[in-house]
Amino acid sequence: MVHALRYSMIGLLNTGARIVLGGIFVYAGYDKILHPGAFAEAVFNYQLLPDFLINLTAVVLPWLEVTLGVFLLIGIWIPGAAALSTLLLTIFTTAMLFNFARGLDISCGCFPTSASEGSMTIWTILRDAVFLLPAGYLFVTTFFAMPVVGPRSPQKQEI
Amino acid sequence: MPESAGHWKAAVIQATAIVATAMVVGLIVNAVRKDGITLIGDWSADARLTTSTGEHLIVPLAEAEKLFAHQAAVFLDARSKPEYDAGHIQGAVNLPWHEVEQRFMAVAEGISPDRPIITYCDGEACALSKDLALFLKEMGYEKVRVLVNGWSLWRDAGLPVENG
Repeated sequence: MVHALRYSMIGLLNTGARIVLGGIFVYAGYDKILHPGAFAEAVFNYQLLPDFLINLTAVVLPWLEVTLGVFLLIGIWIPGAAALSTLLLTIFTTAMLFNFARGLDISCGCFPTSASEGSMTIWTILRDAVFLLPAGYLFVTTFFAMPVVGPRSPQKQEI
Repeated sequence: MPESAGHWKAAVIQATAIVATAMVVGLIVNAVRKDGITLIGDWSADARLTTSTGEHLIVPLAEAEKLFAHQAAVFLDARSKPEYDAGHIQGAVNLPWHEVEQRFMAVAEGISPDRPIITYCDGEACALSKDLALFLKEMGYEKVRVLVNGWSLWRDAGLPVENG
């Protein structure tokens, strides 16, 4: 009985993580798709990519987010979606941490020496890092937890 | 072979397929839509500082220097006050872009609309000077130009600076 309860809880958490993550990705990509020029400028202001890659990234990345979100919401290709979403979030968080460390203000593409303004605060980074929680959870349960409902799983016989 | 190993291979194939889908859809939509963007953009300073009507806002250092020598232009520092205080082009007035709404009237009082203005900030990619310049143009100033990476260029060239 206990095993069944534990497994259904994991299943519930998995579904929850999927939906939360999927929703976040669709929401994140949607506005960028509507305003490619503005997003390209934002990518430029991050000062991380070479000029010739900026527009391509601005065009493809939002669609990657939306596609990823949709797959997560529907619940298909979970291994790929879980890996990709964790990878993307890790890259984003790292990029933000790097820019925070070098004092770049991405709203102006400048490096204010005074710590006065700066749209990128530690809270923005923390918020995105929080998204790593459902992503990480999904990643771990997909790849490391032994399959809980599988043909060879002995627990399946339990009621 | 542990069952989970199959997950990794599937994950790579699925992830690749997701990325490929996104690329194809993104590129097609971008090509078809009215407000699509070019795939390789011109992000040079001059391109970024050319208005929609084709006006080039960039002013080269040499020309800015000449205007300075003849006292023929007002220099506006678009950075924050602390940065301005730490060092600015001699005679420049501080109009922080982040406080433009509060400070504009006071600063603009002393500048007639046909007076040449040069805005600057610090860093090749700094957009403060550009944002300020475009704003000033909207406010009716006709001769506004931008000295890209103004502070560093000016200081490194040994041109007159002051602080406070």
